[in-house]
Amino acid sequence: MAKKAGVIATALFAVALAGTIGYSVIERSQSQRPVQQEIQRELQTQTLKGFVSVDVEPFLKDARVQKILADHHLRIEIARIGSREMAAKVQAAPAGPHFFLAAGVLAARMITDAATRINLPTVLYSPFYSPLVIASWEPVAQILVNNGAAAKAGDRVYDLDLARITDFMLERKRWKDLPGHESYDVSRSILIATTDPRTSNSGALYLALTSHALNGYEVVTDRETARRLAGRIAELFKRQGFQENYVNTVFEDYLSIGMGKVPLVFLYEYQIVAHAMAKRPIPPDAVLLYPKPTLFSKEVFVALTEPAKALGELLSTHPELQKIAVEYGFRGADSALFKEAVGRAGFSVKERVVDIVDPPSGEIMAEMIDVVAAAMR
Amino acid sequence: MNEALKAMAKVAVQVRMALAFLLAMVGLGLAACDNAPAPSGNGKAAPDSAAFSILATSDLRDAEALAGMIQRATGVKTRFVFGGTMESADKVINGKADADAAWFANAKYVLSDPAGQARVKMQEKIMLSPLVIGVSRSDAQRLGWTGDAKVTWKAVAEAAQSGRLRYAMSNPASSNQGFMALMGVAAAFADKPEALTLADVRKDRVREFLAGYKLVGDNSTYLSERFIEKQGAEINAFINYESWLLSLNQSGKLREPLALIYPHEGVATADYPLLLLNDAKRADYVKIVDYLKGAEAQRWLAEKTLRRPLNPEIARQTASLFPSGRLLVELPFTADRAVADALLDAYMNQFRTPIASVFVLDVSGSMKEAGRRQGLVESLRFLAGGDDSITGRLARLASRERVIMLPFSTTVLPTQRFDIPADDQAKVQTFAQIRRYADGLRMEGRTRLYDAALAALKLLADEKTESPGYLYSVVLFTDGQSNEGLDLAGFKQAYRQLPTLARSIPVFAILYGEGNVGELEEVAALTRGKTFDARKVRLPTVFREIRAYQ
Repeated sequence: MAKKAGVIATALFAVALAGTIGYSVIERSQSQRPVQQEIQRELQTQTLKGFVSVDVEPFLKDARVQKILADHHLRIEIARIGSREMAAKVQAAPAGPHFFLAAGVLAARMITDAATRINLPTVLYSPFYSPLVIASWEPVAQILVNNGAAAKAGDRVYDLDLARITDFMLERKRWKDLPGHESYDVSRSILIATTDPRTSNSGALYLALTSHALNGYEVVTDRETARRLAGRIAELFKRQGFQENYVNTVFEDYLSIGMGKVPLVFLYEYQIVAHAMAKRPIPPDAVLLYPKPTLFSKEVFVALTEPAKALGELLSTHPELQKIAVEYGFRGADSALFKEAVGRAGFSVKERVVDIVDPPSGEIMAEMIDVVAAAMR
Repeated sequence: MNEALKAMAKVAVQVRMALAFLLAMVGLGLAACDNAPAPSGNGKAAPDSAAFSILATSDLRDAEALAGMIQRATGVKTRFVFGGTMESADKVINGKADADAAWFANAKYVLSDPAGQARVKMQEKIMLSPLVIGVSRSDAQRLGWTGDAKVTWKAVAEAAQSGRLRYAMSNPASSNQGFMALMGVAAAFADKPEALTLADVRKDRVREFLAGYKLVGDNSTYLSERFIEKQGAEINAFINYESWLLSLNQSGKLREPLALIYPHEGVATADYPLLLLNDAKRADYVKIVDYLKGAEAQRWLAEKTLRRPLNPEIARQTASLFPSGRLLVELPFTADRAVADALLDAYMNQFRTPIASVFVLDVSGSMKEAGRRQGLVESLRFLAGGDDSITGRLARLASRERVIMLPFSTTVLPTQRFDIPADDQAKVQTFAQIRRYADGLRMEGRTRLYDAALAALKLLADEKTESPGYLYSVVLFTDGQSNEGLDLAGFKQAYRQLPTLARSIPVFAILYGEGNVGELEEVAALTRGKTFDARKVRLPTVFREIRAYQ
């Protein structure tokens, strides 16, 4: 009996204790729930290693992007390398990376080729892209219009006849040789500033696009034509002089020194759009010329593992991620959204860029780059 | 020779390609850093590491206060070391800069050399200043160059040729402004400015332009002092950075303000890249660049040094400090180092007004002491082609140059004259004669300094009467006190009696011994020359320096 009473007492005490402790347990579990969830998520979360191009690195490092990925149990560890170096990094997991996010289909093709060689299956996604454009100035664009090389296509936006302007350049015309040049009375040769095609992707894409224009708007497919055209185009690089020319400098000179030094500069649309979206100043008479046709630089996601596929899928379809990508200057699925967002930032782009060509094959490109490199020696 | 050059060029291109790639990668790195948050203002001192040292050219002295500002804003202790342009470029190229970064008006010369490219790990432009022509306002009006007038380089060259434009400019062979101006003029007159070869250079035009080059020197401070003295009938223009000329206009020291002329075809612009040399200090470098391109430093540079900001927002806010309404066209700059070198060579040996000088040489007994004679002989040999480095080549006696050796000891000794021929073969022989002459110098007797100096001025005045198409100067070298003939007071008195022509010739005096510093400074000041200190620097180096003023 006494024993029973003792048990009851103990039980009561236990209940009483549970009452007070229980409260605090609930309290704590409420405050701890995120932590627990985090631990939970941590257990489920997969860490994916990948190599990415410089273009997309700031986007991937955006805290909002990482949050969305975390919500989907994904975490990424990225290293930035040149897109053309990526193929050399292909290796099966766990030593190798889960994914690549490369600038351009050429680089992606090199990666998939390397993967095929070691029997590694790949899945490709193209979450966003950016057309190649030529940034210029209202007075310069006007001269091109006067000479049939450009046509106005909207506010601060022109279509460019690349074949015609390339002819001007190859004929070594100066700005002052063009009729109606009074708004830009300059004796410099007409030249489009680019990056060095031997080392940089956008320079190589300029070569690709110009070869297409000179080839009667046909993609170059044979070596002989490639060598012949590259031989002509080489001087458009050579005459620029490249001693201080690395990726950022040309665009920086365009923005800060302006029309007197850089009347025309070949770049990814995202470069100037990202600048505008970050509310950094763009001179009011800056305009964009869209070569017709132009190339897209696609950011190609190459998945080497199952979880990487989920990441590729997410980047391509998640509406919020697509919206954030626009802030970094990239176009995704929705062109209207893109144009509107850029407009709100005080700049202007062409809504639909529909006239698109593919670059020549990797082999043909390599051939043309070799010819240009030899000429620049 | 040709084959060797080709082989070298090939290696150069390969290195350049590798480097261009490296630079591209580096550029990417920096691009990413731009997105990083700006460094916070808390000044944590760098732990134990030595200060971040920046080798800067002397035209950046006005920016030295940035060192303290950088440290306050970023915590990176920063120290400036100043040097001459070509000398500093030489050091960077040869890996002897002994600094974490270099800051030059432009890096074109360094980066057109493959070895130089390999030294530069990163570069970021900080600010801008175009190289323009400041013309005394009244003369600018007479030339019709004021208001909205479109002044072409052709008009500039013609004015120089006809004597209506007489300008001061730093020496193209030793300093950046002069070099940039020369390259710019060559590009402005070329039919194919973007692919300039020496064959495309319009030598006639370049020569016309250089006909107006009347005041030579190596640094802007020296040139400004002389310009302030001579502004008017003798000199009426100054080619320099816009920032320097605007400052000069603000200084109130000019007889009349300068109208700034931006020739129509374009100008060369200094873009002041900060070059990272020591890769181990990359993190500090990035912080410094972020700060220098930020609002505070950019505004300070615009307001205090009158250089144009690269930050577009600050550029807009400070636009009123700079002449406006004119499109600043940038002249193309050839990437080809061989063309730059050839142009410099042509400048010295063909285009420039040739030099005529008397070297007044102390060969008294005291010169036997402690390697003094050896120093002098070496210096003369150096001028006669003994050194093949960039600076050595620039110091070498040039075609058409006239050199008169005037030794003295107890008496003023007989002169020996050397005319440097244009022909390379003949030049080699003349150089050999000069070296033999130097080797044959014998030191004995006392020091008749002032009579010798006076004789030199008289001699050159006679020469100048006969052939005015030279730039005349006296180089005065002595290691001791004058103890024969005229003393300083006697010299001064005799100097005042000299004809104007003789008094227009500067004396460049070398401080070598200890006892004569004050006197030589007076001689330099009296003749509007300059002293050069050889007490701590090797004598051949000092001779090289003097060459930039001749």
